[in-house]
Amino acid sequence: MSLHQEISFTLNGVVTQVSVAVEMSALDMIRTVLGMTGTKYGCGEGECGACTILVDGLSLNACLLFALDFDGREITTIEGLADDALGSRLEQAFATSGAVQCGFCSPGLVVQARHLLDKNPDADRGEIKRGIEGNLCRCTGYVKIVDAIVSAAAAAAEKEA
Amino acid sequence: MGALIQKSSLIGTRIKKLDAPEKAGGKTRYVHDLDVPGQLHAKILRSARVHALIKRIDTSKARELPGVHAVITAADVPYQRPIGVGKDHLPLKTDRVRSPRDEIAAVAADTVEIAEAALALIEVEYEDLPVLSDPRDSLKPGAPLIHPEPHGGDGRDSLKPGAPVAYAGKPDNIAMTFAYEQGDVAAGEAQSDVVVEDTFKLHYVTHCCMGVSGVIAEFDAMGNLTMYSNTQVPFLHKREFAEILSMDPARVRIIQPPIGGGFGSKLDIYPFEPICVFLAKATRRPVKLVFTREEEFLASPTRQPVILTLRSGAKRDGTLTFRKVETLHDNGAYTSWGATTPFVMMQTISSLYRVPHCKYHTTAVYTNNPYAGSFRGYGNLQSTFAVEQHMDKMADAIGMDALEFRLKNAQDPGEVTPQGMHFKTCGLKDCLKTAAQFSDFQAKRRANAANWKSPGRTKRGVGIASMLHVGGGAKIYPSDGCGSILKIDDFGTVTLITGASEIGQGSETVLAQLVCEELGLPMSAVRVVNSDTDITPWDVGVHASRTTFIAGNSAIGAAQKARVKILTAAGARFDMPPERLEMRGGFIVRADTGEALVEFSKFVRSLHFSDKAELVMTSFYYEPPSRHQDKEFKGDVSAAYAWATQVVEVEVDMDSGLVRLVKVTGAHDVGRVLNRLGIEGQVEGGIVMGQGYAFTEEMIVENGVVKNPAFRDYKLVTAPEIPEMEVHFIETMDGEGPQGAKGVGEAPAICVAAAAANAIYNATGVRIYELPFTPERVYRALKGLVEKLSWKAAA
Amino acid sequence: MTIERYFAPKTLEEAAGILAKGGATILAGGTDLMPQMRSGRVKFEPVLMNIRRVAELGGIALAGGMIRIGALATITDLLTHPIVRERLPVLTEAADHFASDQIRNVGTLGGSLCNASPAGDLAPPLLVLEAMVDLVSKPNGFMKVRSVPIREFFVGPGRTQRAQNEILTAVHIPVPKPGFAARFYKFGTRPALDIATIAIAIGGVMVEGRAGRALKDVRVAYGAVAPTPIRAPKTEAALEGRPLDAAGIDAAANAARDEVKPISDIRATAWYRQELVHNMTRRILEDVAASGN
Repeated sequence: MSLHQEISFTLNGVVTQVSVAVEMSALDMIRTVLGMTGTKYGCGEGECGACTILVDGLSLNACLLFALDFDGREITTIEGLADDALGSRLEQAFATSGAVQCGFCSPGLVVQARHLLDKNPDADRGEIKRGIEGNLCRCTGYVKIVDAIVSAAAAAAEKEA
Repeated sequence: MGALIQKSSLIGTRIKKLDAPEKAGGKTRYVHDLDVPGQLHAKILRSARVHALIKRIDTSKARELPGVHAVITAADVPYQRPIGVGKDHLPLKTDRVRSPRDEIAAVAADTVEIAEAALALIEVEYEDLPVLSDPRDSLKPGAPLIHPEPHGGDGRDSLKPGAPVAYAGKPDNIAMTFAYEQGDVAAGEAQSDVVVEDTFKLHYVTHCCMGVSGVIAEFDAMGNLTMYSNTQVPFLHKREFAEILSMDPARVRIIQPPIGGGFGSKLDIYPFEPICVFLAKATRRPVKLVFTREEEFLASPTRQPVILTLRSGAKRDGTLTFRKVETLHDNGAYTSWGATTPFVMMQTISSLYRVPHCKYHTTAVYTNNPYAGSFRGYGNLQSTFAVEQHMDKMADAIGMDALEFRLKNAQDPGEVTPQGMHFKTCGLKDCLKTAAQFSDFQAKRRANAANWKSPGRTKRGVGIASMLHVGGGAKIYPSDGCGSILKIDDFGTVTLITGASEIGQGSETVLAQLVCEELGLPMSAVRVVNSDTDITPWDVGVHASRTTFIAGNSAIGAAQKARVKILTAAGARFDMPPERLEMRGGFIVRADTGEALVEFSKFVRSLHFSDKAELVMTSFYYEPPSRHQDKEFKGDVSAAYAWATQVVEVEVDMDSGLVRLVKVTGAHDVGRVLNRLGIEGQVEGGIVMGQGYAFTEEMIVENGVVKNPAFRDYKLVTAPEIPEMEVHFIETMDGEGPQGAKGVGEAPAICVAAAAANAIYNATGVRIYELPFTPERVYRALKGLVEKLSWKAAA
Repeated sequence: MTIERYFAPKTLEEAAGILAKGGATILAGGTDLMPQMRSGRVKFEPVLMNIRRVAELGGIALAGGMIRIGALATITDLLTHPIVRERLPVLTEAADHFASDQIRNVGTLGGSLCNASPAGDLAPPLLVLEAMVDLVSKPNGFMKVRSVPIREFFVGPGRTQRAQNEILTAVHIPVPKPGFAARFYKFGTRPALDIATIAIAIGGVMVEGRAGRALKDVRVAYGAVAPTPIRAPKTEAALEGRPLDAAGIDAAANAARDEVKPISDIRATAWYRQELVHNMTRRILEDVAASGN
């Protein structure tokens, strides 16, 4: 049997304890052990961004992270973004801007956009496109995804003002 | 009451996709996210060789692994039947493998890890056969025969050593041929003042849906089969699976979970689905099978690779005279929809611009390469790449402006082409003029061409290309129709139960929109049910850009019936002729003043709970007025046709061959814009898919082996690479289309590569006949190092 | 995969001690390790050691004319940290072309260097900056440090000077002398998320001479054109002190083309890589000559 390790972390605000196989990826743990299916398997090699999550506020590919590295950290998946003002504004913007077609890439993009706007609330279209270069979409051609992120950023700025 | 309600329309407005909020929030459960209680996990063992006899398979060690419930090979499923378009494909291979994707065995186990471990314990002994990897070699004497034995074997004879195998089958490697003719090409050539002939090579690309392939199969206690499948053709699937399993079709149920992309990849039956069913049958447990991304690359159908020789002619005055085409289609090891792309390709050859004389011939040959399926555009990208490069070449040869040359040969509404296609609406000229105008095409093309000799790190070029595609379905099956049922409950909520499938393209939103328009209701009042063959009426499936047109007309038909019923009853209630009533804004109103008489939901409730209780439920089946093609491929195969013109602007880096796609200006004849938000998304996505085909995507196959089965080296377009896009919609108001609309799903992907080829020529004076336009290919072409492809002439 | 023991040490001494006892697979960011493990390219040692908590491996600091970048500095750190941005902009430039934001946030400098891809984006700038790589071990119960110049660190594709019992702890870079400037160029169809077809870094001090501008103290480095990232001494010799006129630039570009030894693979042929090296070296030098830095 595989060597297991006890880890403890906060997931979407909830303290969670899991005994996890040491070689397991964070993506596998999120989906198969914790049963949270919003984070998607797209490629398993960090090229498509469908598995993007936030760890201590930084976005990363869950498929490339060892689940062990959740220990002691704060994890946010797409499911947790609904409780977050900017996150839910992004979700709404995606829905109303036509940024969603088949929707498979959407959770990863919303999470990445959340991180992007956190770092750079005034990002222009060019910076946004660079910021999502690690997220592949096959349906939309990205235009409305960028529209959605711009729109969510503007709405956030308005709230501040 | 008494409020005045204005007329308003949803048509042409920006409507949010119905399932978008759920998808954006990560709440949607795709097939990968579904778990059926008691399910087992399946994995497939694929061939370790490209072309070989299977001498021996030993699954004994795999069977003994704890947690393994079943291990099957062809010997365990003697009842399996051939699948696929050519019925030359057994799900589990019997005596030989013909490509590395070939399925030899499959395991069902408690977990994915155990299933994978079991695969490693299966022992297979092969005897190598020579590999046929170049379709140009497939018809040479002495070429390895890929399907030498009769098809549809029952597997009985194949695994026993020394068992006789009948070699009475195909004497050659020809899978299919297609021949089409109109007019007299020899006469056409004789009339020509300019004749050009070139060979083009179109490459392997693949769908790369973000959601990988997956399926769940479950038999219930009575032996009824339920499949959670991402098929785009659920009703055809149901019938075919019933055939494969020798079951009564009534006992096969297809449920379609939300799909992570389709693009045509899910129009045929591929081995993994029947194999999953076989495992469910063997274990009497639900079985779930999901591909890895690598498997998705290795085992999914591709776009059809084509070697194509085109010979075209025109008169000095610019009139097109003839086109003659010879193509070689690499059919791969088994036949799927790729082999039938000639149906579409010949339409472009015969009818994109007016051409009196035309001859088309395709030979599809077996090889040990990956097989191709259907993929957005379905052969049209390939044929348009050739046709539109020749349009430019001929225009330049006779000294005519590239736009004027095309306009001269563009059809007008009402024309019937020699192939029998009736262009009742035709926006081709408007598309050409609009795209050219907004991109400043003519002036830029002249200016750029003057720059060829000048030094400079980069050079700019513009290129134009149009496309013709079906826009009102395609009558290739016995029926091209779709059924709808409309149910209005006592709260005034409308449920549209449609046979059409939502594959992420927004069909359910557009269908809801059409129903709301008919019934004067807000979008929030309508729900769409579309994903269960036990519930929904028949539809042939999502392909040929047909869904808005056909499912749309079906939904409108049902909604109109409901409208009549409601207004007739309202007329009786308010003692007015029904013609003087309308439904607006969720109310029943007087047509002349807009005075609201009663709230829609209240009225429906009162109908339901009255003395003569009446549920409002209607149904409608829409069959488009198109025709099947005859044996000569002639006929009005679609109820409407669609056009688009794109002007592409590129910047070529002369030191590296890197081509930056700067801008795409598109004009699309879509009949009418229904959901503006949705249609823009379809076009933008299609353009980027076309960009990938033209510049970045290439599935590299060497000796039958895919060398780049990962996103690391199979390059999809990323956000920073997209061009500026300016899209115009030409509304020709098709008489048959729902609210005048025509199909658009495939169009935007079709002409990007052709326009790009013309743009690179405009920038550099160099014409490239092979895709993709990778930096190295372009650089070699700039240096004059690319040998012109020679294959057979268009004979 | 036969991992029998897992450690997450908090100090460098602890980590070195674990390594001293025998083979261990080191886990830093994991962005290379996870896919390599999945594909079977890397066989796990019985011990997996996660060094992310080792405090001494973090940090970016400037002291005594040296910039010290801890092995656990992420690529994003290289992109955003003021010391790197101000003093070592060529390294920031390379970081901007590295993979994607998601990978930059997690991938580490140490991990990338130890992975030793011939196409590794960070290597050419570090070669031009003449960085030193610190390797720490505890062979006989006492901590030992040695510093290896980066140009000797890479030994072959995926192979470095790091011994099994050593940890890469930091990279030291001498603060470039006044007037030193460097440029980085990576060829690809995308701004990032691309394994380099070729990568170039050129650095030096611009001087104005009677014959025009010239570069002194020239360093030229290439990635993805040899079994390891390399310095190009012949090209450097062709440039050193020579006026940056058309002839000089041509000579340097030709020297570069001949000096590199690329392979042909599915991404590009050797010939094309050499063409790119020639053309893009020339282009960078033309830009340098024109702009004066």
